[in-house]
Amino acid sequence: MRITPGMTADNAIYNLQQGRSAMETLQEQISSGSMVNRPSDDPLTTRQLLDLQNQISAGDQYSSNITKGELFLNITNTALTGMSALMQQVKKIAGDMASGSTDAATKAGAVSNLTQLREQLIDLGNTRIGDQYVFAGFSNSQPFDLLGNFSGTDDSLDLEIAQGSRVATNVSGGNLLRGGTPPGSLGVDILGGIEALISAISADDTAGIGTGITNMKEGAERIAANQAEVAGRLVRMDNMKGMIANNQNTLKSIYGDLQNVDYARAGVELSQQTTAFTAALSTTAKLTQLSLLDYMK
Amino acid sequence: MGISSIFDIASSGIAAQRLAIEVAGENIANVNTPGYSRQEVVMENRPVGTSNGFALGSGVQIQTVRRSYDGMLQQQIVNSNSTYQQNLARQQALQQIQPSFNELASDGLGKAVDNFFGAWQDLSANPAGSAERQALLSRSQILVDTFRQMNGSLATVARTADNNLVGIGAEVTDHARNLALVNTQILATNSVGGNANELLDQRDLLLQKLSDKIGITSTLASDGTATVTLAGGEQLVSGTRYATLYTRASAAVPPTNNIRLSGLGNPPPANNPALDADVTGTVGGVGNSLGELGGMLQVRDSIVPGYISKLDEMASTLVSAVNAQHSAGYGLDGLTGSNFFAAAGGSAATIALDGGLTAAKIAAGFPSVADPAPTSTGNNANTLKIAALQQTSFAFGTGSATLDGFYNAMVGGVGIDTQGAQNTAAQGAAFLKQLNALRSSNSAVSLDEELTNLTKYQRAFQGSAKVINAATEMLDVVMGLVR
Repeated sequence: MRITPGMTADNAIYNLQQGRSAMETLQEQISSGSMVNRPSDDPLTTRQLLDLQNQISAGDQYSSNITKGELFLNITNTALTGMSALMQQVKKIAGDMASGSTDAATKAGAVSNLTQLREQLIDLGNTRIGDQYVFAGFSNSQPFDLLGNFSGTDDSLDLEIAQGSRVATNVSGGNLLRGGTPPGSLGVDILGGIEALISAISADDTAGIGTGITNMKEGAERIAANQAEVAGRLVRMDNMKGMIANNQNTLKSIYGDLQNVDYARAGVELSQQTTAFTAALSTTAKLTQLSLLDYMK
Repeated sequence: MGISSIFDIASSGIAAQRLAIEVAGENIANVNTPGYSRQEVVMENRPVGTSNGFALGSGVQIQTVRRSYDGMLQQQIVNSNSTYQQNLARQQALQQIQPSFNELASDGLGKAVDNFFGAWQDLSANPAGSAERQALLSRSQILVDTFRQMNGSLATVARTADNNLVGIGAEVTDHARNLALVNTQILATNSVGGNANELLDQRDLLLQKLSDKIGITSTLASDGTATVTLAGGEQLVSGTRYATLYTRASAAVPPTNNIRLSGLGNPPPANNPALDADVTGTVGGVGNSLGELGGMLQVRDSIVPGYISKLDEMASTLVSAVNAQHSAGYGLDGLTGSNFFAAAGGSAATIALDGGLTAAKIAAGFPSVADPAPTSTGNNANTLKIAALQQTSFAFGTGSATLDGFYNAMVGGVGIDTQGAQNTAAQGAAFLKQLNALRSSNSAVSLDEELTNLTKYQRAFQGSAKVINAATEMLDVVMGLVR
């Protein structure tokens, strides 16, 4: 093949360009730290990376949902613990008064104590986070009035903690303190029961006090059951959070495997490319210098 | 045979070597001229006569100045140029499109969709919260803006391609005019028996330039003139006549450029859009696969509309799914049946939030047994249903997929298209380089070779001069005899 200086020049330009572009790609990978910098670098990996990104961001969202749900449930739990303590006192007072009393001062003390405890129960029933009442269901207004009438709803306020998996973040105040809507329809009406107890104590009605004691015991058990239920949900959320965290770690490590540059490999490749490029530059410089003109007089 | 014939032989030598040196000089001068083919002199001895009973030539003459040229190679270069330039145009457009879809480097539509549904999830934790509602509104606005921005940048790429057609048409016409002129000059040179080597080079170069811009078929007549037909069979250059390739706005809204071809002539008849052939559909070859013009047409007519229609499909699916669920729910104002997105905005270009949408109108509530016509502000049932749409598969033209999945596939598709165009363009460049190397090997000037020739012919010239010197001395000697 006949070789002309033009061909040598074209070849040199083409090959130097190829070398530069290979080094440019490596340099981009090293400086960005990413193997795939645009979809055309590797379309199939891009697709995988985007799917991973979606899953990771879904995990983040579910984690954030769980954090909010845990806040709700923890506040609910605190309120339930308070209620449980109050119920202990109610039970104790009722027990003390089980056989009735003839001492007006004792009766008045018990009645006033019970009235206070009932009001405290109502206050706890109106517990809120920000402007949300935890026992009000879907309603956003104070669920219990001073008389203990429940105006919230029995709906459960669900949050998604994994795809298609929802957890209720509230306990219905009506079911808890009033035994369903209307009161007493599903179980013992605690607030109504205390009122009945107060009347029974005032009237020295031993049978009524006895019923009251049974009712209060049952009510305390329901509150304890709700506490256990809330604790169970908290455990479920905590487990889910751990699973999500594990899952996120796995996804991120797969993402890293696909996307992160192996600096050792890139460094070695870059030094290979640089050597080749330097050689190309040096031969180009030498070859393009050669001309018969230098040797003719 | 006398001494004078020595003068004849020597002077023929001087003349021939001088011409050879001229040709070498021409070659050296044109070492960097694009499209130039090296020329070489072909010498032959002059008719043989008889001198003293011996057959002896009467000197040297130039038979021809030959142009090193391979027609087949030339044709291949023309063809692969067309394909290469088409790929290049396509690659450039795709490289402009790709950044809009580059979800890896920056947050784009995929992230906006994610954030949109994330805002619904956040709202589910506090359905009455005005901060959450405001966040949802602004994230929705970002989603709408992202759709429109992507549509806009795609449309810009198509519009740029469309605008480029005007310039390409003018360039093609310019080359056609020059080719017709070169054809005329070739005929003129032929008619006086001249050697049209340089003109033939110019002709080939013009054919090559034409093939950059559009797909052409060229035929060379025995007189050296070229005839050029377009991919649709219409004549662009015929002998000394050529046609004008020009653009006219179409009747579409907004108008795009149609490509028309005038009649042949020198100069060609004035553009007559009513009568001139509309070659838009054929000029780029089958599937607009030829020339820069074909590339631009492909970008304008298939690549960009393809992506836009996918974006539209995604936008309309999102709008109708979210609206359907949203209008089933209840806002803080207790009203139901309101749209979230404007019902008319079923494409990436027109997607918008519903005109009446306010923070209070966002329908978070969904009827429940205890809350049949949601008046409770804490009702979050509808937010969960809308948030669940993110994981719902919809029937798209390419199959069933979630919104995220459909978009990710679209990004992958853009990547594959861009990578494909880059690869074909790179292969085309390598192939063309190989062809050009072959052409150079055959036709390009080698300085070393020309310098050697120069020395060779210079020495021969000196030799011939020396012969004249000898003949003069011989003549002097003869003259001295008679004195």
